[in-house]
Amino acid sequence: MKNIIIITILVFSVSCSGFLEEDLSTIITSESGALKNESGLTAALAGTYKPLTATWQSGLGNASTQAILMGADDLTTHKASNKADFREFDQFKVSQQNGRLPFVWSGAYKSIQGSNNIIANYEGATGDPAVINQIAGEAFFLRAYNYFWIVKLWGKAPLVLDTQVFDPAILEVSSSEPQAIYDQILSDLDAAIGLLSDSKPAPGRANKGSALAVKAQVYLQMAGWPLKQADKYAMAASTAKELIDNEATYGFGLMDDFADLWPSPTINNDGNKEEVFALNFFAGQWWNGNAVYGLPARPGEDNGWDDYFSELTFFNNFPDQRRKDFTFQTESGATPWQNFATARPYFQKLQGDRADWLNALSLPLIRMAEVYFIFAEAQIVSTGNNADPDALEALNKIVRRAYGLPLDSPDAGVDYTSATQQDVIQEKAWEFAGEYCRWFDLTRLEMVESVTATKDPSDLQPLGTIEYYLPLPASEVLTNPGLGED
Amino acid sequence: MRKPYSKNGWKTLVFSLILLMTLGFQPVYAQTVVSGKVVSAEDGEPLPGVNVILKNNTSDSPVGTVTDFDGNYQITVPGPESILVFSSVGSVMQEVSVGNKSVIDITLETDVQALSEVIVIGYGSQEKKDVTGAIGSVDAKDFEGQPIIRMDQILQGRAAGVNVTNSSGAPGGNVSIRIRGANSINGNNDPLYVIDGFVGGDFNDINPSDIENIQVLKDASSTAIYGSRGSNGVVLITTKSGKVGEPKFSFTSRFYSSSVLNTWDLMDAGTFAEVANQRANDIGTAPIFTSQEIADFKANGGTDWQDEIFRKGTGQEYQLDYSGGTEAVKYFISGNYLDQDGIVINSSFKRYSLRTNVAAKLTEKLDARLKLNFIRRETNNVNGNGNIGSATGGVTGWSPTVPAYDANGFPTVRDNVSSIKGNPIEGALNDNINENNNFMANGGLVYEFIDGLTLDVGFGASYINLQNKTFSQGSISNNPTASRQSTEFLFLQNTNTLNYRKVFADVHDFTATAVLESQLKKTDQFGANASGLQFPDLRYNNITLAGGVGTNSYFEKQTIQSLIGRVNYQYNSKYLFTASVRRDGSSKFRGDNQYSTFPSVAVGWRLSEESFMPGNIFDDLKIRGSWGQTGSQGIGVYGTVTSFLTGDFDAATSFNNGTLTPGIKIGNPGNPNLKWETTTQTNIGVDMLILNGRLGITADYFKKSTTDLLLAQPLPQYTGGGTISTNVGETENSGFEFSITSTVIDNLNFSWSTSLNASFLKNKVVSLAENEMIFVDGDVGAGITNLPEGVLMPGQPLTSYWGLKYLGTWKTDQAAEAALYGNVPGDSRYEDVNGDNVIGGDDYQIIGTGIPEMLFGWNNTLKYSNLTMNIFVQAMGGYDKWNFTYGQAISAIADAREVTHADILNRWTPENQTDIPAFSSTDVVELQSSRFVEDGSFIRLKNVSLNYDFPINQEKGVKLGLMLAATNLLTITDYQGLDPEAYSNNGSADNRGADGGSYPNARTYTLGINLNF
Repeated sequence: MKNIIIITILVFSVSCSGFLEEDLSTIITSESGALKNESGLTAALAGTYKPLTATWQSGLGNASTQAILMGADDLTTHKASNKADFREFDQFKVSQQNGRLPFVWSGAYKSIQGSNNIIANYEGATGDPAVINQIAGEAFFLRAYNYFWIVKLWGKAPLVLDTQVFDPAILEVSSSEPQAIYDQILSDLDAAIGLLSDSKPAPGRANKGSALAVKAQVYLQMAGWPLKQADKYAMAASTAKELIDNEATYGFGLMDDFADLWPSPTINNDGNKEEVFALNFFAGQWWNGNAVYGLPARPGEDNGWDDYFSELTFFNNFPDQRRKDFTFQTESGATPWQNFATARPYFQKLQGDRADWLNALSLPLIRMAEVYFIFAEAQIVSTGNNADPDALEALNKIVRRAYGLPLDSPDAGVDYTSATQQDVIQEKAWEFAGEYCRWFDLTRLEMVESVTATKDPSDLQPLGTIEYYLPLPASEVLTNPGLGED
Repeated sequence: MRKPYSKNGWKTLVFSLILLMTLGFQPVYAQTVVSGKVVSAEDGEPLPGVNVILKNNTSDSPVGTVTDFDGNYQITVPGPESILVFSSVGSVMQEVSVGNKSVIDITLETDVQALSEVIVIGYGSQEKKDVTGAIGSVDAKDFEGQPIIRMDQILQGRAAGVNVTNSSGAPGGNVSIRIRGANSINGNNDPLYVIDGFVGGDFNDINPSDIENIQVLKDASSTAIYGSRGSNGVVLITTKSGKVGEPKFSFTSRFYSSSVLNTWDLMDAGTFAEVANQRANDIGTAPIFTSQEIADFKANGGTDWQDEIFRKGTGQEYQLDYSGGTEAVKYFISGNYLDQDGIVINSSFKRYSLRTNVAAKLTEKLDARLKLNFIRRETNNVNGNGNIGSATGGVTGWSPTVPAYDANGFPTVRDNVSSIKGNPIEGALNDNINENNNFMANGGLVYEFIDGLTLDVGFGASYINLQNKTFSQGSISNNPTASRQSTEFLFLQNTNTLNYRKVFADVHDFTATAVLESQLKKTDQFGANASGLQFPDLRYNNITLAGGVGTNSYFEKQTIQSLIGRVNYQYNSKYLFTASVRRDGSSKFRGDNQYSTFPSVAVGWRLSEESFMPGNIFDDLKIRGSWGQTGSQGIGVYGTVTSFLTGDFDAATSFNNGTLTPGIKIGNPGNPNLKWETTTQTNIGVDMLILNGRLGITADYFKKSTTDLLLAQPLPQYTGGGTISTNVGETENSGFEFSITSTVIDNLNFSWSTSLNASFLKNKVVSLAENEMIFVDGDVGAGITNLPEGVLMPGQPLTSYWGLKYLGTWKTDQAAEAALYGNVPGDSRYEDVNGDNVIGGDDYQIIGTGIPEMLFGWNNTLKYSNLTMNIFVQAMGGYDKWNFTYGQAISAIADAREVTHADILNRWTPENQTDIPAFSSTDVVELQSSRFVEDGSFIRLKNVSLNYDFPINQEKGVKLGLMLAATNLLTITDYQGLDPEAYSNNGSADNRGADGGSYPNARTYTLGINLNF
């Protein structure tokens, strides 16, 4: 009998209540109110920048960023090696399955989701209001900046502002018109400007000046194709002017020497004052490195990947000056670029400080020089005065630097005394060769066809009709076929 | 290109085997002094093939004979003191003193042991004749004397319907075990392992020498008793226990030597350099090598990367066990040490195990048992199945012109000619060490209240401590990294089983079982990883001195509580009926979905017991049918809530170059309505035993339908991307299984017993809700492929390859058509599905499947005197392999910039229009094409072993045995890779068959010594 009692006790000892309750105490869930305080918001902000720097998953951290801009006349890729996905952009025949296509799109939207979450939660969160406002400002800034990439590359796109909570209805949403997206961008930028502080909390984050710069870019873009709202030139000019006039407040300015903008084997020049908005990278792990720079930009002769390099006409027309020397790699050891396998010069300024694909280097997406260009162009167009002195001075500072001259000392040998919009655009093309301006300047001014016509016959030629917008990635229309329809 | 295995060929093979097995009964004659006739007690019919052996034999060679077709025998014996032993399969052995008789007629009683054999079923046991489910059994005698180092090798080819694939050929490497196909897309498809009643063990954590028998529960009436964890089939493992009698001692040591099955036909350095220059010339770039360099390579040779990576792997194993007992206490104690090196440098497997099984009869009514097992496994570089960047994949990527080591003796960092990946030698010398320590205690008390009514209270505890250590030299990115990960698992189980058996009126045999079971599983984890190690020589042992250090910690707990009921009823051993139900409550779900019920029912009819059946044909003939429902075990915790991703990989970013700021990022949205996947299975089977039990045939047909299939439905990126888990899909598996066991010859000096099993499986996706297809990226070809490599599509098997259909090269007379695609003759030609004259993503289609449709196993044991030979043939057919490794070797693309494979010498030329594309700047080599999909079918001589027993002292049972065995001696296949079995996919989806540098299985020779006393 004693045995039975012992056994019975054993049987019931484990059958206690609450045994089946799921233990959620060790994870952060949507139900746990994680973003209701300063530290939660701080962590969420890192997670909002993350999709832009998740090198091989999403964002701007690999050469796909150059790939999607390859329709411009500065960038091309390898003709024979299996760079088919790059070539599709250069040759205007982009398939929805292109593996380089989703990086910017998915990075932007994942970051937008993070912004949406912060924006929905920061009001009423506990903590230091200054810190919380800065975080909220960056959330607004990032949402605007991400939508700006989307609207420039795809035009129509889903305008989603509450993706922090999953609602199945979102799978049937339709694309919004560019105007609606631009309206949202401007409203978010204004919110950001109201919340952001003057100085960057860290080199890889945004401040009020970053938001002003994007706002100037946005106005300039709205002034051209497809919206063609000419009144925006004046707004672009005044916004850029406001930033230039207060550049020291935001810690910005032009570097004295073009060479000091770029990493070199001896110094990486990261965090220089010309970085208006730059992504930073850890590079201690394969998944977070600046892989725009380094091997992707280097020739096979130097063990590089031959991902992107210069088109011939662009290089040949580039004026001989100090800037050209630091923009291009024209030889590998004793081998001149004409004898490279690809027979093209490479972008030295984007080659990083060593032959690597895992770089802990800044990726400056907006440089102060661009703000000067925006001001110069917008001022000339909006005033109709090709000799507007302020515009010319903004332009000439950069031209003087290109020749290795002091920025602020007028030099009759190189200074423009009169400049058309085209002059500014061309000068900007030299300054930002291989960077993130040229394609957008060409599309907003509808110049793609004319510059494509000047391609060297030995460069990759268009295979399809020239399109200003990219197709939606396959993943988007597979699940929401209505998205691609008009 | 492809030469698919002829299905008729398979049929011929199977039929000839069956023929062989049924024709082998031959009589053998001897001279005579004593003669007589042996008849069956059952029906008085003569018994052929009965062994008649002189027992008290004093001569060196055995004396004996066998009865002829009419049951007659003649034998010469020394004198009247002689004793004859009459024995036959299916009969009770008899001993007779000769005395003065010259004619001795014998009547042998029937004893079909196979029928009275007791089979372990879930939460109980049953005599084999009463079993109504589909159960595959493997007994220790089926694999004794064979070089088994892990449990999966016991199952491989020995149980119908069980597919065991060594996806990694490394000792202790990954293996895929599937019972009756794969049901689940996102869940786990591994069977449930129940070790001595402990639910959810790991088959790696058991020393195969300790295994008494294995039962594979396949149909739903057998598995439904395991409810929410039964869908993938259940493997019941019973370990050895001591037997009443003198203590028995057994010592075994084995020595292993392994080598690679096959090597790639790669070009030597000189030829490679010539070909690289020809390519440069053909695509219009500068030559890579000077003629002097080529001449030097021709004179001095280059690097044979395969020689650098592969080696002869040696190993040793020692096994000691000790068992015995009295009526009161029985014990079995064993220790095992195994140390085996893999055939790839720096890969190894070590195992230490210690087991104590004790059973005690405490009182007349109370029994106790305790089984303790400690096992430690140490592996290095065995779990990575590789991708084309791995050591084994790298050998076809790296140029033979590059020296293996640099001037300082370090592996050369970069291949400036071909591969952009790291040196395969360096890759192989990196570490990925797992040290798994498992302590398991499993005990219980059984109390018999009244005759037939027992209560079994069982407790099980398993504590696993897993230490993972990795190191990567990372020379190519100048970034040495290391990590340490420590995980503790704690499983606790309590099972209370009430069992009642009663026979009413001699014919109504009734058994009822009720079980209350609870289980808890805790996982506790922390780890650290470091990059930019300042002292790489310290490897993972000091990761503080590093450029960056990341840490993680994690905890999870899951619980299950279950109620089980089962009734077995049989009428007069003729009509059999079983019904069971299990109700599982799980912590993973919410609300109404927390509890689920899994019912089953089965019936059996033993036709052989019916009076209308002719009495002497069937020893047993049983028809079985069953139906039941089970759940899937493979759903993770926290699926019902949206949780934030917090790991560095997912959420940490850098705000200041070179540093990392941790963050949180919204993860996949949770679905509060999640529930178990449910598998409904119907099974019809027949068991037959004829020729006095010498030939047994079992055949089964099954159909499994898995509904409420958990799909990770991909969400568009604009929603934040990721997937949402939803119970929407449906899959189906159906098939036939046959197994035949036969004692073909059983003579005095020679016996041959054989068993053959064959399984045929059809696996398909039935529905994916509204999705037309779901892509699954295996990423095996990462760096050489761009689109997802796998696809799920209704009507197609679970593993389908996604790519372009290769139509060979454009031929000279097709120049005009080729031009439409921007191609010239000699370029690759692909099917333009939508006819838009552009080859792109929209021309992708299903180009193969990785799920084998046919499995065969053929096991033979031949005994001649003291010599035993085992021949075991295994075959797998009806599936494709995706040969990325070959693709990398024969193509100059992306991460592998030059061709290394010698097949390129036979590339297209106008004069020799082969289907290997010429070098051309207009050619697009697409790795994701049917060009690299090959038939994976193979027949393999899995084991040949010879055992010889030296009887040192027969009376005391002292025996010395010698064993010589060869594993994977011969493989017949059309597959061009190193091994048709190994593959590289690693992931939750049941994606398999893509081979990008997977670790090949080895040919192993084993020498063993065994001492028993």
